[in-house]
Amino acid sequence: MKILVIEDEVQLQRIIVEFLNNEKILVESATTFKEALDKIISFDYDCILLDIMLPDGSGMDILKELKKLQSKASVIILSAKDSVEDKVEGLLVGADDYLAKPFHFAELLARIKVALRKNQQNGNALLQYKNIVVNPEDRMVTVAGKELKLNRKEYELLYYFMLRPEKVMQKTTLAETVWGDHIEFADNLDFIYSQIKNLRKKLKTAHSEADIQAVYGVGYKLQ
Amino acid sequence: MKVSLKNYSFRYLVPLLFVVMGIWAFLFYKTIVDEVYDNIDDGLKNQKIEIIREAYVDPNITKVNEFGVNQFRILKVSDDDYDESNHLTTEMVFMPYDGENEPYRVLRTGFHGVDKEKYILEIRTSMMEEDDMIFNLSISLIVLYVLILLSALVIHQVVIRKALKPFYAILDQIKQYRLGKNTQIQSVKSNVIEFASLEEEVIEMIDRNEEMYQQQKLFIENASHELQTPLAVTINELDLVLENTDMPEKEYLKITAAKDALWRMVHLNKSLLMLSRIDNHQYKMTDKVNFTEVLQNELETLSSIIEEKQLYVQCEKKGDFIVKFHPEMARVLLSNLLRNAIKHNNEEKKLLILIDTIELKIANSGSHIPLNPKLIYERFYKQGTAKNSNGLGLSIVKSIVEKQNAIALSYSFLNNLHEFKITKK
Repeated sequence: MKILVIEDEVQLQRIIVEFLNNEKILVESATTFKEALDKIISFDYDCILLDIMLPDGSGMDILKELKKLQSKASVIILSAKDSVEDKVEGLLVGADDYLAKPFHFAELLARIKVALRKNQQNGNALLQYKNIVVNPEDRMVTVAGKELKLNRKEYELLYYFMLRPEKVMQKTTLAETVWGDHIEFADNLDFIYSQIKNLRKKLKTAHSEADIQAVYGVGYKLQ
Repeated sequence: MKVSLKNYSFRYLVPLLFVVMGIWAFLFYKTIVDEVYDNIDDGLKNQKIEIIREAYVDPNITKVNEFGVNQFRILKVSDDDYDESNHLTTEMVFMPYDGENEPYRVLRTGFHGVDKEKYILEIRTSMMEEDDMIFNLSISLIVLYVLILLSALVIHQVVIRKALKPFYAILDQIKQYRLGKNTQIQSVKSNVIEFASLEEEVIEMIDRNEEMYQQQKLFIENASHELQTPLAVTINELDLVLENTDMPEKEYLKITAAKDALWRMVHLNKSLLMLSRIDNHQYKMTDKVNFTEVLQNELETLSSIIEEKQLYVQCEKKGDFIVKFHPEMARVLLSNLLRNAIKHNNEEKKLLILIDTIELKIANSGSHIPLNPKLIYERFYKQGTAKNSNGLGLSIVKSIVEKQNAIALSYSFLNNLHEFKITKK
């Protein structure tokens, strides 16, 4: 699995690359339109993170070029603009997803996984940690070989934990990624706690080897 | 006290004209009276010469010692009373015609008759009546005064009204003018220099303001936009630091707090950006939007918060509220109104929603005092305790309502409930 990050902000590019490397994903990067064009012509990528506004050209043209090359790469647009029109246009030209800057890393990772799944039908999309297996294809969760029934929010919570087991998910990140833009209610994130409590109970009764633990009161992790 | 320009100079004209006419009347009267006296006196002196001459020819005249038809008399005098110089006096003499005393001019002089005797000659003539004269003069002056004032008033009203027409035209346009609406001032084509230059200056000033306003709006948009990247860098750098699991709790908490604050900034920034985009008419595409559906979706999105806050939601859906609107703006509008109702709720925990084909109401329990409808839509206006509010939610609502121009929004406080009502325009 190889990802190309096309981002003219060198600092942001370095951070994304470092994060994806930590996730054991192979990453290459391009800073300019020309460099990006060279790379997509010369190499095959599974996923491309594309900044629309480049100093020497538009990301939209890269999308068109990819189409011409009949590339199989999934494209996620990263944009600081966050406007509906941009989103619509990007998706029309052939991008698979659109993520506004700034983003939560958990969100980025989830989007990358989804985008990869869309274009790769090799069925290797199962997420596994200890005796928990999540199949994003049909949203099925099995613990110790037995199916575990979860409601929508519980599934989404578990999915995010499974994407990055043993890593801390902050409450605000969970609130934003699972429930949407609720930062303004951040003084009271207890609704997360009650969902997590339910999820833990279900995992425990299903004899899961992994448990969701609270970390310093600011977040949770699957361990 | 403020007066219209039409009456402004008139206020000064009334007393000034009065004083000027008074002084003029006084001087005029004095001159006339002087002239009249002069004339009469000359006549009397002339008569004296003729009478004395006659007395030398016909000494019988010296026997006329009563005022008769000739209005003179001649009396013999002693040496002591003799005086040859002319003495002119004004005396009151009874006049049978009027039945009262009237002023007479009398000339007294001495002369030697043919018989070498000393005589005194008195000639008198009726004079004008000064009080009558003053009275008549005053009447005519007052009539003149009133007539002048009336004509001045008419000229003022007519001429100034005509001259001020372009001024009022400009004034009306300035009244109608709103910054950012891009209205053009219609030329009034005045041939009064002052108004022409007023118009010119107003147009120039408006152009300058519009330009500045546009720049400012773009500045907010660009600034918000430019902030997103450094914010992204900072947040994601902190994320990378937080990946380190063996960090001490104290530091972990500090970094998390910093990150949360940064996220708040991101949202504030996004709100500003949205406000700026709405104000710049960037959401023009309109479609028929079913507000009932949008509201339902937003309620679902917010359901976990509503549940957690244990709000008692009473939602009555009686029909589809369909309006031509930008779909995304409809979502933001209803989302913000709902969030507002949730955020500012109190221990009564009421959230009432009513929607039918003509109106949409969102009401919530909250503070027991009605809000000031003039302030709630102000940017960064915060009501009391909501510490996570960025104070832009209702400003965005107001901007959307204004720019989409399809619905009307009103706030009311009824039965201890804060209610926002949307109706079709």
